[in-house]
Amino acid sequence: MAELILDRITKYFDDDGERIVAVDDASIDIADGEFLVLVGPSGCGKSTTLRMIAGLETISEGEIRLDDRVINDQKPQQRDIAMVFQSYALYPHMTVRENMRFGLEESTDLADEEMNSRVEESATMMGIDDLLGRYPRELSGGQQQRVALGRAIVRDPAVFLMDEPLSNLDAKLRSSMRTELQRIQDELGVTTVYVTHDQTEAMTMGDRIAILDDGRLQQVATPLECYHRPKNQFVASFIGEPSMNFFDMRLEGGRLLNEDFDYSLSSRIAETLDTEELVLGIRPEDIELVDGAEGDHDYAAEVLVVEPMGNENSVHLRIGETRFIATVGGMRQIREGETAAVRLPEEAIHLFDRASGEALHNRRLEAQLVEPPV
Amino acid sequence: MSGEEGSEKRSRGQRFRDGLTPKRVGLYAVLFGMIGFYLAPLESGLMTSIKSTEAFASTTPFAPPGPEGATIEPWLLAWESLQESLFNLRGSLANSLFFALPATLLSATLGSLAAYGLTKVSWRGQILVFALLIAGVFIPYQAVLVPLRQFWSFIDIASMLTGVPVLEPRADLIELSITHTAYGIPICTVLFRAYYQTLDNDMLEAARIDGASITRIYRRIVLPLSVPMFAVTLIYQFTQIWNDLLFALVIVQSSEFFVVTQELNALQGALVQEYNIQMAGAFIAALPTLVVYIVFGKQFAEGVAGGGT
Repeated sequence: MAELILDRITKYFDDDGERIVAVDDASIDIADGEFLVLVGPSGCGKSTTLRMIAGLETISEGEIRLDDRVINDQKPQQRDIAMVFQSYALYPHMTVRENMRFGLEESTDLADEEMNSRVEESATMMGIDDLLGRYPRELSGGQQQRVALGRAIVRDPAVFLMDEPLSNLDAKLRSSMRTELQRIQDELGVTTVYVTHDQTEAMTMGDRIAILDDGRLQQVATPLECYHRPKNQFVASFIGEPSMNFFDMRLEGGRLLNEDFDYSLSSRIAETLDTEELVLGIRPEDIELVDGAEGDHDYAAEVLVVEPMGNENSVHLRIGETRFIATVGGMRQIREGETAAVRLPEEAIHLFDRASGEALHNRRLEAQLVEPPV
Repeated sequence: MSGEEGSEKRSRGQRFRDGLTPKRVGLYAVLFGMIGFYLAPLESGLMTSIKSTEAFASTTPFAPPGPEGATIEPWLLAWESLQESLFNLRGSLANSLFFALPATLLSATLGSLAAYGLTKVSWRGQILVFALLIAGVFIPYQAVLVPLRQFWSFIDIASMLTGVPVLEPRADLIELSITHTAYGIPICTVLFRAYYQTLDNDMLEAARIDGASITRIYRRIVLPLSVPMFAVTLIYQFTQIWNDLLFALVIVQSSEFFVVTQELNALQGALVQEYNIQMAGAFIAALPTLVVYIVFGKQFAEGVAGGGT
């Protein structure tokens, strides 16, 4: 078992003398047995980071340490890691058994029976023990996925690296594999770095998530902390579906103003702000539909579109030219074209510096929600 | 209802007549015409090879011989001059096999290795090397004949092999084999490179992480997946090398070690043109390439279609 430390790692590519930075000065300490999810939009550098840990890319600057051993210059085969690829990357000319044995044959000098028993043990764990004699082309996508995972597990590595392993599966299978992967990781207790662009996977699977954008690490924290206490506007918008609503506002005399509405801030919050150009953020589920626009933070809004999801409705609303989304209970009757009274409760708002995107104020919470994991 | 049943029960003859539209008739006429056109030389050759000299003179080339004009003597004579007897290792067929088999295998194997190194391993200067190999594909045989002769008089294989049985007298054939190997590497590399570029990089990276070195990855992953491409290059190279006359004329000096194309050439050297023997000789000389096509045919089709995995 192992602790994996990324210490200020940077990766740049040379493109005709121009330097393109793929990963910029990222530091993450990944604890022994932790499940860390690297998440971000495509091109943010998350796969490059994973490939640097794997040894498939060189590291331009910084250090990667595995249990205090610097592995920068070690070849992939010396690093004691296993990786699962999005394309599964199975060897097409080998049976499932041969696929799973390959790593053992190449990297250990175990006896034949020992290898076989380890393959069978992992295959049973993945529920593919009846497929050992088959070739990859005879398996469904989900089965191939299991073989790819089994091939990683059988090596019993210090670290698992997973590069979007579930994104080629259909939605139903994906959610059941999500649970299963977590169960297996939990059972084996192997340090895992998991790359995905899917924020649902990030939220549900990670002990902690590391959010990357444009090569820069935005925040490393537990899923709930990222959700409720985002460090900046990017994190706030990336985590959560539908995304957080943002309104460009000016702070004037303790009130937030824009062309369509103004929002009074309590002095407790206003006092902490030292800039006037702000972004007000509020999550769709924190917007309440009320009976009449009476309170300080109540507004009359026109209902543009209602998207019923069954358990909830996504309601697209408009105040003047300002558009936003609220999610309300699925049983709530609401029709397009109506005028609704909405409330933006002050305890749920986030405020960001418009220039830097940095979070200046996050919503109030029950404290225990964001305690770091033990 | 009854009409449908009736149509199901229609006889094959009826269905055949229904399909007999003018368009179809025309199509088949053209197809058969083309088959005849392509096969005519082969058929004429085959007929010529089983006619006596008199029958050849008195009939048209593509007509079969009459009962008194038919003979297999040209085949026996041709076989004798190409090979003397079946298990004689000193005939021209044996000479050809001696140089063509190693050259075919070596050029395909080295081409595969070079292509692997050029696609799946990164190192400095590989674009330059690949550019040189591409250029190598386009050098015509005729352009290198003189330097080739000079090269082989400079590098004397025969004296290197002094005292080695079997090989020493066949130094010319070894030179020929090496020449064809070298000449075949560029085209084999280009063919394999195109194929290796389609190999999944993730899979090779997975093998690296699994602990395999570059050579192990070649042996355990790339090579087994290359079988269809090997079929293509082996067929192509064998045909090229086996059928070559030009290099053999320049390199092989002693008539004892003439290869089959040279011997075939010698068949027409007599005062009287004996077409039937020449034709029989041509068929015998072509047999090995035919065998190669039949043996590797299936993989060849797969390789050309670009599949395989």
